[in-house]
Amino acid sequence: MLYIIEDTINGILMGSIYGLAAMGLTLIFGVLKVINFAHGSMLMVGMYAAYWAVILTGLHPYLTLIAVVPVMFVFGYLLQDILIKPIFKSEKDVREPITVIIVTTGVWYILDNLSLLVFGPQYRNLQDNPLRGKMLEFGDMLVSVPKLWGFCAAVATAVLIYLFLQKTRMGRAVRATSLDRDAASLQGINQYKMYNISVGIGTAAAGVAGVALVPFYNVFPSVGVLFDIKCFIIVVLGGLGSIWGALLGGMIVGVIESVGPQFMAATWTEAVVYALFLLFLFFKPSGLFGVKYDW
Amino acid sequence: MNPSLARKLPLILVVLIAFALPLVLRSPTYLHILILLYLYAYLTTSWNLVGGFAGVLPLGHAAFVGIGAYTSTVLSLQYGISPWAGMLVGALLSAVVGVIIGLPTFKMRGAYFALATIAFAEGIRVMVENIDYLGPLQLNGPRGLQIPPLKIGLLHFMFADKEPYYYIILVMLAGVIALTWFVSRSKLGYYLVAGGEEPEAAQALGVNVARAKLIAMAMSSFLTAFAGTFWAQFTLYIHPKSVMSLDISFEIAFIALIGGRGSIAGPLLGALLLRPVSDFSRIYFGSTLPGLHLIIFGVVLILVMLYQPRGLQEPLTRMYNRAMDRLIGKREAAA
Amino acid sequence: MKILELKKVRKFFGGVKAVESFSLDVGEGEIVGLIGPNGAGKSTLFNCVAGVFPPTAGEILFQGTKINNQKPWDLCRKGLARTFQIVKPFATRTVLYNVMVGAFAVTDKRAEAEQRALEVLHDLHMEGKKDLRAGNLTIADRKRLEIAKALATRPKLLLLDEVMAGLRPTEVDEMVAIIKRLREGGMTIFVIEHIMRAIMALSDRIAVLHFGTKIAEGPPQKIAHDEKVIKAYLGEDYGAA
Repeated sequence: MLYIIEDTINGILMGSIYGLAAMGLTLIFGVLKVINFAHGSMLMVGMYAAYWAVILTGLHPYLTLIAVVPVMFVFGYLLQDILIKPIFKSEKDVREPITVIIVTTGVWYILDNLSLLVFGPQYRNLQDNPLRGKMLEFGDMLVSVPKLWGFCAAVATAVLIYLFLQKTRMGRAVRATSLDRDAASLQGINQYKMYNISVGIGTAAAGVAGVALVPFYNVFPSVGVLFDIKCFIIVVLGGLGSIWGALLGGMIVGVIESVGPQFMAATWTEAVVYALFLLFLFFKPSGLFGVKYDW
Repeated sequence: MNPSLARKLPLILVVLIAFALPLVLRSPTYLHILILLYLYAYLTTSWNLVGGFAGVLPLGHAAFVGIGAYTSTVLSLQYGISPWAGMLVGALLSAVVGVIIGLPTFKMRGAYFALATIAFAEGIRVMVENIDYLGPLQLNGPRGLQIPPLKIGLLHFMFADKEPYYYIILVMLAGVIALTWFVSRSKLGYYLVAGGEEPEAAQALGVNVARAKLIAMAMSSFLTAFAGTFWAQFTLYIHPKSVMSLDISFEIAFIALIGGRGSIAGPLLGALLLRPVSDFSRIYFGSTLPGLHLIIFGVVLILVMLYQPRGLQEPLTRMYNRAMDRLIGKREAAA
Repeated sequence: MKILELKKVRKFFGGVKAVESFSLDVGEGEIVGLIGPNGAGKSTLFNCVAGVFPPTAGEILFQGTKINNQKPWDLCRKGLARTFQIVKPFATRTVLYNVMVGAFAVTDKRAEAEQRALEVLHDLHMEGKKDLRAGNLTIADRKRLEIAKALATRPKLLLLDEVMAGLRPTEVDEMVAIIKRLREGGMTIFVIEHIMRAIMALSDRIAVLHFGTKIAEGPPQKIAHDEKVIKAYLGEDYGAA
């Protein structure tokens, strides 16, 4: 019984990191109404960035946030501005720009294979970092320290994004654009700039997730693929556009993954997650907290 | 000669050359490359029935390849049933699965549909990877199934040389192209196009859009499964990552999109242009620059989507027509 | 014989009332007009009749049979065709292709569908344009294409939703002539229109909708002088004509 509680707690912590990874994706969808298939690859880039930052400077992994976050923000901003904006402009009247999905899939392939080329296929990890393998004892239970840090990072990021959207002028402009892009544009809001900023923030959030993962998770070129699909699932579970939904959805997946193996083979938990995903897609596509989008 | 026939002459020539090639080309490596080329052209043309004509973006077609491959292989290994019969069973099974997937997903918006197809395909792959036995059928999980080349001959869909495989896939390709052509000119084809472009307008004209899409999906998954069986009989070893992976689904979709989905020439041209890139970069750069061909694919895909969203077949067909105009004279208005 | 009967049709969207207890009969071979200020509920009514969504209450009968919950494609097969206010051509295809989609409602064979489509285009004086790309047509031609597509399905009842919007006066007159010719051929037509001159010239009877309620019904001349109608369009300050 104790194991189940321990698993659940660690599942929640790990899940919050999943949620952190998915937060960016849900924000991007909430504003742009398109799904960025390259999000997992962005996460992978964030992980490599954090990895190399630590290797080169010897700093505590979380200190690398100072470099990783701005770099990822700019990366996302430019991606949206250079590749996706032209498609938005040319497909203004199309109900849903499928072309964007296709283009982001292309970006996914390019990023993943470029990093394979440049960094090689080997699995890397930060053996000596101050957080690795550390456990906190709560009575008879062991809680993973790096995951605890990750949980804090996830909650902090969620709060920051929430405050940004609710309290700052630019944040309100972003929200306006997400509700009605034409109306917002009539109010003088440059919708394309809002898109750029949203993708920038979303990618920066993926960067934070990368930093949170790097102390204990292996870094390799196709790590993005794993997370990409997981992020989609989480985003659907939590509701497209909802930051808290992403956090909650991530925790659900995290708990299934860590408690599941007590009852079935570990690989079957993957199938359970997929099944849950499909159930939500069919019966509650707006997820737990999502905005009612006209399907 | 009738001018519209004259315009088609170069194409007819290409077909004849394709059939005659093995008589001249002896190298097994090149035959192998061509076989894979035709195989992918076949896969993309089958995909096109749903992804092109129905206007949706299915990203999980590898599942049908896998179903085809596993069905015929299991039936032939465990029960001695001829792979040809197994091929048919696999195709029927695929069609049923395709309809089951299509029923709930066609109502969804584009991105969600794409995600759902990915989820289904990956779900099926995960299941096959995890089970060694499905009832009495041995699937061997991640280790896959090997096909010992014991019985050779047409009846057993097993040959020592590449030539017979070449002709089989070429005939399959010709068949699927002809089928696509017929469908595009039929009521189903018109209904699919209409439903894909303006579903409400189509419905008001008597088109049951959902049903048309399901029919297209059933046909597409049926035909895709044939390729799975061919693949199994050709490579003699199948495992989930080799026949059901997301990479295969994506490659099929990419090639069709770059070539131009919704047209007959598009998927063909896409395969013709991209498969050689894939093969040559794998042969020459495989060890030094792994994954190079995928980077190239990605770049080409993005460029095409930005500048020629209807695919490369649009400018290429225009150039061809203009060349034909100059050589033969303006054609009559197409019927 | 009554082609279309609307009996106390109501349509609510959540708490918002779009149409309130609307009743109307359309007899065979009639042209009945539906007018009213913007937002009165006219298109909503059409959508209920055409099967886009069912009415919240009331009955809709087509040729004597209740059709409340039927789908647009089934209704089309039964002889009910409609056009859209915002025209929806299949833009990447030719005019002929567009009309053939409609023609396939009455045949399975391509040759027959092509034949029927050419006939319809001939009747509407559009056959010269049959190979043009639908997306490149002028607005007037697009409106005619809308009608052509619907006609190809061989309807008994045709619902026209603001087919004159955006047309120049000469084009409006042409359209009126086309619609009149259709009625001479035996078709029943139910028209929503804003262009007064057209609807007055066309209709045998007109019904007037205001905030979802029918406020008047009768021959064009009576409607033109009806006090309630004038108030609805021009506001309270304008009294009797």
